[in-house]
Amino acid sequence: MKLSHPALRSALASAWVLGTLRGPARRRFAAHLAADADLRRVVARWESFLTPLAESVPPVEPPARVWRAIEARIAPRPLPASASLWTSLAFWRWTGAGLATACVVLVSVMLGLRPTAPAPAPPVVAKPAAPAFVAVLSTPEQVARVIVEDGGAGALRLRVMQPWPAATENDLELWVLPKEGAPRSLGVVAGDRDGVVRPANLAGLLDGGVAFALSKEPRGGSPTGAPTGPVVCSGPIARARA
Amino acid sequence: MTDDAPDRLARLLALAARGDRDAFAALYRETGPKLFGVSLRIVRERHLAEEILQESFVAIWRRAGDYEPARGTPLTWMAAIVRNRSLDLARRGGREVPDEEGLHTAGLADETASPGADLERRTAAHGIAECLGELEADQRQSIALAFFHGLTHTELAAHLRRPLGTVKTHIRRGLARLRDCLARGGVTEA
Repeated sequence: MKLSHPALRSALASAWVLGTLRGPARRRFAAHLAADADLRRVVARWESFLTPLAESVPPVEPPARVWRAIEARIAPRPLPASASLWTSLAFWRWTGAGLATACVVLVSVMLGLRPTAPAPAPPVVAKPAAPAFVAVLSTPEQVARVIVEDGGAGALRLRVMQPWPAATENDLELWVLPKEGAPRSLGVVAGDRDGVVRPANLAGLLDGGVAFALSKEPRGGSPTGAPTGPVVCSGPIARARA
Repeated sequence: MTDDAPDRLARLLALAARGDRDAFAALYRETGPKLFGVSLRIVRERHLAEEILQESFVAIWRRAGDYEPARGTPLTWMAAIVRNRSLDLARRGGREVPDEEGLHTAGLADETASPGADLERRTAAHGIAECLGELEADQRQSIALAFFHGLTHTELAAHLRRPLGTVKTHIRRGLARLRDCLARGGVTEA
């Protein structure tokens, strides 16, 4: 695509604004735009001609979930780039891979078989006959790090398959991700040993949850109530019964 | 929307640029439905349009400081963001284009012939609507279908049952006449 001739530039700009320039040609033109300030001016002129037409389109009420999703992503303080993982498609793709593993774990636990783990923590809570749900949290590289399971009586059991060294200036915070809306905190957890979390109203927090995630936060957990650090590992929740 | 809408929206945008979430929520309430409609017409899939609306407003939040009146009205500026994303992401597949498009553009042309109270509020759209009325029907219809519904040249040819070359000519000539008409009418060029 040679963009030297003014007539060609104007023709392409008008096609880009109107919408007839599509696919690979559209992407190529967008790349040109990024580097060519004069081309941006030509495009701006065509936008000033044509785009006002859009004001005549009849409004359609969007569902409430759209605003909730927007609100979750705009923060009072700028979030690090990794926070966009929470809503990006890529995130859901690699957590989806953990579902198969989680189902295997769930079935084996329910059959009374135990998944291998390092020195098990002393039981803090009476074990249920079988957990109602389990999640295998894996890193982006698909390494399983933590198993989170129903611990009964308002508690979650965490089995740390591969412990992290005890950190000094960071804490790991556990989040439950609902199908729609912002992640909900389940509190700070230890990354160097198995443990139990017992947040207030666990059942309410887990309601509608589809995945767990661990993020790296400042000491004491996120100061904002939303994740501020990178996702360390995550995985979908496999429930024993729909 | 009344005549002072652009000023009110510009103020909300300026506040949003400074991190005012309430102002941004008000901006969404006022413009979200119209922008959702814009995206829906192009991509014709509700879930995709919702995703695009979400992405667009996050971008608008981040770039609110970029807006200036020289770039058009706030709604036009926001609509450009939504349209771009919609045209980038629209998936094709032989979906039916509602024939109401003919009615829509006819409605626009009629309004310029006998302006009603409705036209008064579309201050930014006045120039283009009037100039659109000056085009030949073929040119107007092709341009409207491309603009509102995101039809490609190939899809236009199929929908209008015309040769590809004819459709391209209609659009090229129609755009040229629009540009000349708008320049004549003293519409502000960015």
